[in-house]
Amino acid sequence: MDLDQLVQTLERLALDAEAALAAAHDAAALEAARVQFAGARSGQLKTLQKEVGTLPADSKRAGYVKFNEVKDRIQAALDAAAARVESGADAAIPAGLDPTLPGVRRRLGHVHPITQTIEHLKQIMARLGFEVVEGPEVEDTWHNFVALNIPEDHPARDPLDNFFLACAGKLADDKGAAARTPAIDPTAPDARLMRSQTSTVQIRVMEKSAPPVRIISLGRVYRPDPPDQTHFPMFHQMEGLWIDRSVTMAQLKSVLRMFATNYLGADVSIRFRPSFFPFTEPSVEADFSWKGKWIEFGGAGMVDPNVLRAVGYDPEEVTGFAFGLGVERLCMGRHRIEDIRDLFRNDVRFLEQF
Amino acid sequence: MLVCWEWLEQYVRLDVKPDDLADRFAMSGLNHESTTQVGGDVVIDLEVTSNRCDCLGHIGVAREASVLLGQGLCLPPAIVKEDPALKASDLIQVENRFAEACPRYTARVLQGVKIGPSPEWLVRRLSAIGINSVNNVVDVTNYVMMECGQPLHAFDLDQIQGRKIIVRPAAKDEKFLAIDHHTYELDEQTVVIADAQRAVALGGVMGGAESEVSDSTTNLLIEAASFEPLAIRRTARRLKLHSPSSFRFERRPDPAGLDWASRRCCELILQVAGGKLASGVVDTGANHPQLEPIVFRLNQLLRVLGITIPTSEVVRILSSLGCEVSALDADTLRVIAPSWRRDVTREIDLIEEVARIYGYDQIPEDAVVPLTVAPTRPKDIVLGRVRQVLSAYGVDEAITPSVVPAHQDACGSPWSEREALSTDTPLLEGARLLRRSLLPSLLAARSWNQTQAGRDASLYEVANVYLPGDDQAALPMERSMLALVTGQDLLVAKGLVEDIAASCMSRETAVVSAAYDHPLFQRGTATRYDLNGQLLGFVGLISKSTSKAVGVTASTAVAELSVETLIGALEEIRRSQRVSPYPSITRDLNFVLDESLRWAQLESMCRTSGGALLQQVEYRETYRDEKKDGAGKKRVLLSLVFQSPDRTLTSAEVDAAVGQIIADCQTQCGGQLLG
Repeated sequence: MDLDQLVQTLERLALDAEAALAAAHDAAALEAARVQFAGARSGQLKTLQKEVGTLPADSKRAGYVKFNEVKDRIQAALDAAAARVESGADAAIPAGLDPTLPGVRRRLGHVHPITQTIEHLKQIMARLGFEVVEGPEVEDTWHNFVALNIPEDHPARDPLDNFFLACAGKLADDKGAAARTPAIDPTAPDARLMRSQTSTVQIRVMEKSAPPVRIISLGRVYRPDPPDQTHFPMFHQMEGLWIDRSVTMAQLKSVLRMFATNYLGADVSIRFRPSFFPFTEPSVEADFSWKGKWIEFGGAGMVDPNVLRAVGYDPEEVTGFAFGLGVERLCMGRHRIEDIRDLFRNDVRFLEQF
Repeated sequence: MLVCWEWLEQYVRLDVKPDDLADRFAMSGLNHESTTQVGGDVVIDLEVTSNRCDCLGHIGVAREASVLLGQGLCLPPAIVKEDPALKASDLIQVENRFAEACPRYTARVLQGVKIGPSPEWLVRRLSAIGINSVNNVVDVTNYVMMECGQPLHAFDLDQIQGRKIIVRPAAKDEKFLAIDHHTYELDEQTVVIADAQRAVALGGVMGGAESEVSDSTTNLLIEAASFEPLAIRRTARRLKLHSPSSFRFERRPDPAGLDWASRRCCELILQVAGGKLASGVVDTGANHPQLEPIVFRLNQLLRVLGITIPTSEVVRILSSLGCEVSALDADTLRVIAPSWRRDVTREIDLIEEVARIYGYDQIPEDAVVPLTVAPTRPKDIVLGRVRQVLSAYGVDEAITPSVVPAHQDACGSPWSEREALSTDTPLLEGARLLRRSLLPSLLAARSWNQTQAGRDASLYEVANVYLPGDDQAALPMERSMLALVTGQDLLVAKGLVEDIAASCMSRETAVVSAAYDHPLFQRGTATRYDLNGQLLGFVGLISKSTSKAVGVTASTAVAELSVETLIGALEEIRRSQRVSPYPSITRDLNFVLDESLRWAQLESMCRTSGGALLQQVEYRETYRDEKKDGAGKKRVLLSLVFQSPDRTLTSAEVDAAVGQIIADCQTQCGGQLLG
């Protein structure tokens, strides 16, 4: 080959290599092209290098100039192709993939909105130093009424307003509803009932531990309200209690304000309206201000001295406050749930929204 | 309690707008329900708490207004002109045989009254608060009740047989025809007001048809009595007969105001119906003694409320509420509550009275609350982890009723064979049994989703079961349970249970599983798990009878686990274990085994025989080839993973361990290595 032929061949090689490398979209194609054009043993460049060596001496220099130029071009094309393949910027589009198709989602489970509300309440109250406690749902009249200063003639003790247990020994018949209501003596010392409030837990905690006590109790309570949009015979309450040497109503208001501010995520005010509960004195209904309106929060008050005495505390030594609220109401308000029965139907189409 | 503005103004000057006064009422204890205009008059509806019977009459509400507005209170003296020629005790006798239910019964007698329509003012005021006019006498009794809160009853004296009133318990099954012309069947707990022959009124609840005041009535007996709240409530509820009278007696009106009410009633009857009032009153009880004095230490206001209130203000508030207040010393008052405030008996009650009038808005909401640490309960840690696992598995949390119908309870419980406790009234339709397992009601929720929503629901619930104790009369043992139901494969349910346990327990926890049998489960499908020797719970497929009882049609795997056991095994803070930097070696073995050989046995053999370097025994699959292996045989493929924490293993070491397993499989499990 003379110099002209060689220069032409080299030029063609450079063009071929540049085209082949530009078309190499994956590592295998790149490697094949590299071996073909720039392989150390029998690549085309190598072969032509030998040809340059056979040129007459006067044209050898020009031959090497062209050779080096082509070698550099191929190397540059190789580098570019390698960088491109590595970054995948231009990877071949997999056949049949439509990237606008929806993602494949796993069906996750959902925590019940009541549980979510309860966890939220616990979290806020824990920040305020209130520890979570639990107590039994089936109670005796001492814990549900007597120790809570609810006298025997109080309407709250009416058997028709409570789920008393059928007398021991009386067997439940299979027809259930058809059974005649047996006489229940709610004043009997061993009368038992499904608790009508979580305040029972306060009594149990105070009976067992000396002050100070700063607790919340959460759980199911039971009252014979026929189910409708806002009533269900089973619901949840949160009850807070703080007993110490000098707990005041100002602290009650302050704790409730901090609670409401935390719960609603905005600064709110608390308003007390006088009310009446046997286990607190003074008793109030607490409201919080929200978007220019007063919203009912729940009942609250200073623990009645009779309750403190019933658990063996000295009302001259300690004071305290208690408050209670309905979890369902908070939950429904927060999630815009319009019918309390939805919370207990367990329709997964409802549950999976939370 | 409906309050008529113009009526209220009879007792107190109201130089305030009705809406403003209603707000003041709401902030001082009488919750404002609504304000309406009735025929040009303003009527305010107030909610009265059960301790404030004094506010179930206009005078009580007027007194609150007088305290709030700092105005005087002007009450009618109820002075009556009695006819000295007539003596009440000559005209009627009263015998009280039921003083436990009726501590005081008084009677006055009027003669020669003329029954007719009421004057316009009386009709208008009653109508403003929703009471229809009947005749002048009946209207007066209603008016006085709505004035002072003491119910009254007027009898036609000429219909009272034997001129005698007997207060007594009703006879069993005694019948009574009330003013509403319904006949009621009474029991021995009912107080009746009777004459010599028959019951003429249901004490404190409703009068009788036969002795009611009619157009021809000329002589009247005016009853003013006290009844025990419990007795009245019992009767009213049992007979479903709630009247303004029973409503008030259930809340114990002022016993000392009884005679005032009786005189006021007679005064107004004389005014609107004429006639003569016999002198004196027939009275079976005594005047109510004054309430005991209360020592009020003024420093208790700060102690309880967290604010100080000037003593002069304290004295003003209590005095205007009707208390007798005197100073014992500079810091102590002696207070006697008025008879109409029998709910005020203690220092703390006085604190409330002062606070509600002084205003709760005076109490600050930025008091210092000392910091304290509230530790997280282990139970909350456990349930937090468990809920994460369940959410990852796609299981939704349900809340189902604690009390179940008999057909659900009949599915049984793995936790107690004792008969379930029962509520007296059903929680929901037919549901009276306190559940001993969460599974039946949770399965019912799954069934509901299947039939109503067309969804194959996987559900879980965390709640208590109620296990009857040794002593039938004691409180049941309540145990917190985690139950789950799913349409997924049994082994997926088992995996879920194992992941739940693993999310709580430490690596060292001994997990033991064993076959279990209970009618709740299909035979041969259930497993019992123990953690560190404590019963964790059960997993299995439900039996046909369970499916039928709860209405689930598809195959369902269920589990019920003790939350207490999970708490007992809780590793609160995870401890790490160094990951070995040396490669592991995996060997797959395929054994031909008898069909009856259980995986648990095979795995246990591998672990025992594999030596210290064997890290994992993993089940891969089972398949059967009857042609090659014969009947009653199966092939089980498993993987063994060997690794050392401190060196690279040699093939020879692993071969030796595997060889031991293959040999022991033959002798202990009767298994042959395939290939």
